[in-house]
Amino acid sequence: MPVILARIDDRLIHGQVTVGWSERLRPDRILLANNAIAADPWQTRVYSSTVPPDIDVSILPVSKAAASLGEPEHQDERVLLLTGSAEEMAELVRIGVPITEVNVGGLHFGPGKREMLPFVYVDRQDLKAFTRLLEMGMTLSAQQVPGGREYLLDEEQIREMGEKF
Amino acid sequence: MIKALVITHGGIGQELVRVTEMILGPVPGLTAMSNSGKSAIDITARIKEWQAEIPDDGGDDFSASDRKLILLDDYGGSCATSAQLACGQDPDTAIISGVNLAMLLGFVTWRDSGDFEELVAKVVQKGREAILLVGGR
Repeated sequence: MPVILARIDDRLIHGQVTVGWSERLRPDRILLANNAIAADPWQTRVYSSTVPPDIDVSILPVSKAAASLGEPEHQDERVLLLTGSAEEMAELVRIGVPITEVNVGGLHFGPGKREMLPFVYVDRQDLKAFTRLLEMGMTLSAQQVPGGREYLLDEEQIREMGEKF
Repeated sequence: MIKALVITHGGIGQELVRVTEMILGPVPGLTAMSNSGKSAIDITARIKEWQAEIPDDGGDDFSASDRKLILLDDYGGSCATSAQLACGQDPDTAIISGVNLAMLLGFVTWRDSGDFEELVAKVVQKGREAILLVGGR
């Protein structure tokens, strides 16, 4: 069950995860918590097919992802936990996923989003979710790839970013 | 006429298309797209836009019913996943990963010569044949 990396990344399962982090951390399983993909067999198949064969993959709705981590058959697994948004990660922590650190790996530009870091674009909703994660005791750091620059995201930075809206 | 889209990380695709045109001259209907700065949802949406577009070549060589080809740099990356989500269930769009220059030169040379499935097979074969141990051991 140990979650060796809990990552927020709107590209979900892609090279930085399956090659970059997985080569470094050697997870037994990649667990993607995403309601829309879990509900769509085609998308589930596409995303699952990109995971190297020596790593298991589960794509589950957010509500079931937390329970899956507690199941006896997954007890000894090293899990790389992924969500596409800060909100979904906050929901997982609220439900009780046992983590203390969250990696912000990539939130790309979109309507209403502003640059916080070169690979982190946020809107008010993202900032609210960051704050909620901090309030629940998480350490938040932004880092794209292993060995890449790490930026600690604290309360003050989130507040300053909020003032730009 | 068959159109093609090269989807890659960074500027690989733009450069491949630029060099292809440097060698063979302008190629209508051959375009590149980068994933840089884009979320998976954004890339997927842009691929769908490309799929619906009819290239403007000044004439009427292209039509909505043409078959289409997508070339990707690396299977498993966000470009490949988005391409599959956008077009993977469309029988008229072929998707090939591992794009290299030889494949693009082959595509341009052969695209008017008849059967689509045959063209796709030839482009794949050309790409494989271009990988050679040229020196050393």
